[in-house]
Amino acid sequence: MPNIDRRDFIKLVGAGSVGVGAGFMLRETIKHPTEQLIPHVIAPEDFSTGIATWYNTVCSMCAAGCGISVRTREGRAKKIEGNPSHPVSQGRLCALGQAGLQVLYNPDRLTGPLMQTGQRGSGSFAQVTWQEGLDKVADRLELLTAENQGNRIGLLSQGVRGHLAQLFELFADQLGSERLLHYDFDHPHTLYAANHRFFGEARLPYYDLKNTRYLLSFGADYLGNWISPVHHSLGFGHSRQGRSDVRGRFVQIEPRMSMSGAAADEWISAKPGTEGILALGLAHRIVSEGHYSGVDRDDWTTALSGYTTDQVAEQTGVGADTIRRIADTFVHTEPSLAIGGGSAANHSNGVDTLVAVNALNYLVANIGKPGGLVFNPEPAGPASQDRQASYRTMLELAEDAKQGNIEILILNGTNPVFSLPSAGFEEALAEIPLIVSLSSFMDETTALADIILPSHTYLESWGDDFPEPGVGFSIGSVSQPVVSPLYNTRATGDIVLQLAKQAGLSDAIPWSSMKDFIKDGWRLIYDRGGLDTQKESFESFWRSILKAGVWGEKTHRDPAFTLDKRVINSIAVPPPEFSGSSDAYPFILHPYVSTTLHDGHAANLPWMQELPDPMTSVVYGSWVEINPATAGQMNLKEGDLVDIESPHGQIRAPVYVYPAIMPGVIAMPIGQGHVTYGRYANRGVNPIEILSPRVDQRTGALASSATRVKIKATGRRIELVKTGGNSRELGREIVQTTGGKASQGHSAKLNSIPITVVPT
Amino acid sequence: MSILDRIADGWRKYRKPGYYDEFDYHWGMTVDLDRCTGCEACVTACQSENNLPIVGEKAFAEGREVKWIRIERYWEGEFPDVKLRFIPMLCQHCDSAPCETVCPVSATYHNQDGLNTQVYNRCIGTRSCAVYCPYEVRYFNFYDHHWDSPLDQQLNPDVTVREKGVMEKCTFCIQRIRQAKDVAKDDGRRRVRDGEVQPACVQTCPTQALVFGDRKDPESQVSKLMNNPRTYRVLDELNTDSSVVYLKKVEDDHA
Repeated sequence: MPNIDRRDFIKLVGAGSVGVGAGFMLRETIKHPTEQLIPHVIAPEDFSTGIATWYNTVCSMCAAGCGISVRTREGRAKKIEGNPSHPVSQGRLCALGQAGLQVLYNPDRLTGPLMQTGQRGSGSFAQVTWQEGLDKVADRLELLTAENQGNRIGLLSQGVRGHLAQLFELFADQLGSERLLHYDFDHPHTLYAANHRFFGEARLPYYDLKNTRYLLSFGADYLGNWISPVHHSLGFGHSRQGRSDVRGRFVQIEPRMSMSGAAADEWISAKPGTEGILALGLAHRIVSEGHYSGVDRDDWTTALSGYTTDQVAEQTGVGADTIRRIADTFVHTEPSLAIGGGSAANHSNGVDTLVAVNALNYLVANIGKPGGLVFNPEPAGPASQDRQASYRTMLELAEDAKQGNIEILILNGTNPVFSLPSAGFEEALAEIPLIVSLSSFMDETTALADIILPSHTYLESWGDDFPEPGVGFSIGSVSQPVVSPLYNTRATGDIVLQLAKQAGLSDAIPWSSMKDFIKDGWRLIYDRGGLDTQKESFESFWRSILKAGVWGEKTHRDPAFTLDKRVINSIAVPPPEFSGSSDAYPFILHPYVSTTLHDGHAANLPWMQELPDPMTSVVYGSWVEINPATAGQMNLKEGDLVDIESPHGQIRAPVYVYPAIMPGVIAMPIGQGHVTYGRYANRGVNPIEILSPRVDQRTGALASSATRVKIKATGRRIELVKTGGNSRELGREIVQTTGGKASQGHSAKLNSIPITVVPT
Repeated sequence: MSILDRIADGWRKYRKPGYYDEFDYHWGMTVDLDRCTGCEACVTACQSENNLPIVGEKAFAEGREVKWIRIERYWEGEFPDVKLRFIPMLCQHCDSAPCETVCPVSATYHNQDGLNTQVYNRCIGTRSCAVYCPYEVRYFNFYDHHWDSPLDQQLNPDVTVREKGVMEKCTFCIQRIRQAKDVAKDDGRRRVRDGEVQPACVQTCPTQALVFGDRKDPESQVSKLMNNPRTYRVLDELNTDSSVVYLKKVEDDHA
């Protein structure tokens, strides 16, 4: 019974003209406290009840840097759409970008600073104030810097660009630390290295899919998650049906059909790791048939002499006829373009493979031309060093930590404990006296931190981005907070600035907030001129960027480029190497970055967990894809649990019989297998755990497709959770096609069944 | 004329093709399967715009997921000559909709814009419409779904959150259509301009496979695409007279 006295009772009874009695009384006393329906008497700027306000900012769900517009109502973010003025996204957005709202409103976000109270990994944390947390870190930083021991400070961030990257540089520099690294599992190290070798610069060019007529993709899932999927999709759509005179054709070469493989006109499965050999086989055909007439023709002839069509057919398993046909089409269709990445680049010969792909572009002279490969001008933003750590670099970091050379490690949004295979990274972390994490979520690495200073999400922070690759010209975008911070968190930049201040570095890093730092940075861009910027004041320039969400410089790069003869002479792709003998481990494991969960950082978003995988329609779990014939031989059916064992570990997952994968290869999506990442994420298995530590020889990047495995049935099975329905058309003609072979099998359409119509 | 005859007469008129031509708009969509890559951006965009529930693993396993637009996938052939074809499937907004005739309480009906609409407050959950729908695009709320706080802060205030026992399906983002009409009216325009209103799925489609517009406007992009020789309707033999028109995927043999 609610606590009321006699006087209250009379008041209540008197107040109620209708419902006098116990029921009424109860209702009155247990009803919710009065809430304001309209939250503001004097509303803040840009706020009117019932009317949506849109803010332009930048997506941070992957490294593409799409411009987005966020719709807010009454101070809450409701919907994310692509920013129509942004050259990368052009108003469009992928599923992952849409789901950014669930990063902001995720129920498993860290709501304030925490300090580990028990043993590391025990998961027992106590809330602390920002001052306590910051003091503890800043004191250590100051001490180490004062003793000239700054290099004992490690800074490990996810890939960041623009002024946040510059701030980290400045911070590390002032601390006296050279250990500033970025780590992302799917960073295309081998592509940067291959471009450095071939073009002389370690940058990404712009691939003009939009205007190309024939695309050869060696393993790059450009529509799924390779580099800039939204922009590639725009180009793909236009190339296919956006031109009245021509329809672009797409060829995908990979051992397991990806989304891009399904979209392609032709899907070719070369033996894993031989994609580069195939590229050189095509190059050989082009040169030997006299389709290349450059001055260095003789050099090419000599360099490619070991890649005759028959030899390459033998090595790659691709038919000689196919090689001839593709090479001829590639050279006769103008413009044509070759790209490489994904699984083809994740072998021991990754860089050589991608150099071979670049060679194809060179031989058809598409460099700098519409529909080809276009060099990007220098980014407009702050120049910062490429800090991306390869697998080898991360191993060195771990070794350093084990030697006791790292006193304090500051982590920002990267999760190496989850995404670094057999590196002993966890053991290495144990040797570091103080681990600080700036993550917004309790990822597996953050769970081992001593102090957690949680960051805002990207929808609550100031930032900026200079997309890499650009779109053939230089663009920059500013990201702004679209809602007030939900919790007691701070922007990454602000945390770093505060740490710098408390560590006594404010002479060199005087900014009080990230917004000021970015604004000062943009003042430099403004001062440098370009366009008509000088006609307006900086403030109006700044406001116009915030409003548009993007700023661009229409400066194009001179496409002229001379190929070093030594590159031609050294061109070769060695056969791939695998870990594990083919007798003991008969299958090659093809792990691929999940289309829905990306490298695992999106696994805590319920929309993405519940989004059917594009190829298999499976949700909420892990699976292993096996060729139907192989599955038949092994008597495996969908849902059968199997143990997948490599020389480095063992995991268990249910079978999915996948029609478009080579026999001898099994595939698994990366992304599941979290243990501390929250209620939606903690499920499935992580195939990274069983990958071998083999690397690409030239860069030290992880050769993630170079592990051999064996599979063993467990006799148990589960029901895979996926969308219903038959995966075959059975003559229903639901997806109709034109211009090709008629759909196989008989038609089961209603009008093909003889029925008697009764005349009326 | 008896009352029964009058009802039957009304039905006949209502069901006759061309009945909707006299109204202001006739919304329609084209889906170019030669552009579609199956990326499912449309699926998430719809989920975000229309407050679709997160049903959870158990309900999903029971086949009780709610996705107003989904990607269907069909394998063709065997390795190595194998293809996977995608098709986005959503309410086809049939002008002769089988679901409309069967609803005992007229919870689903055809509005004057050519939209097949669902009145949640009228729905009593017989699920007959879902049985009659040949496209399987009607979704029933078998459970009261909830959003773990603060995920509920994302919910779109322009769209109702449906409760247990109610049928739901794609609305062509009717809230956006209404808003566009209001804006047009405020601007003193009689009609909504082509491209002014786009459902969430069309808006986000990275390959621009989905196009939405007014079929009564011969100059609209969607009207022009409907004249494309590649057009077909799914399950056309059922004479549902759907408003979603697909453009066939081009599969040329190796040149």
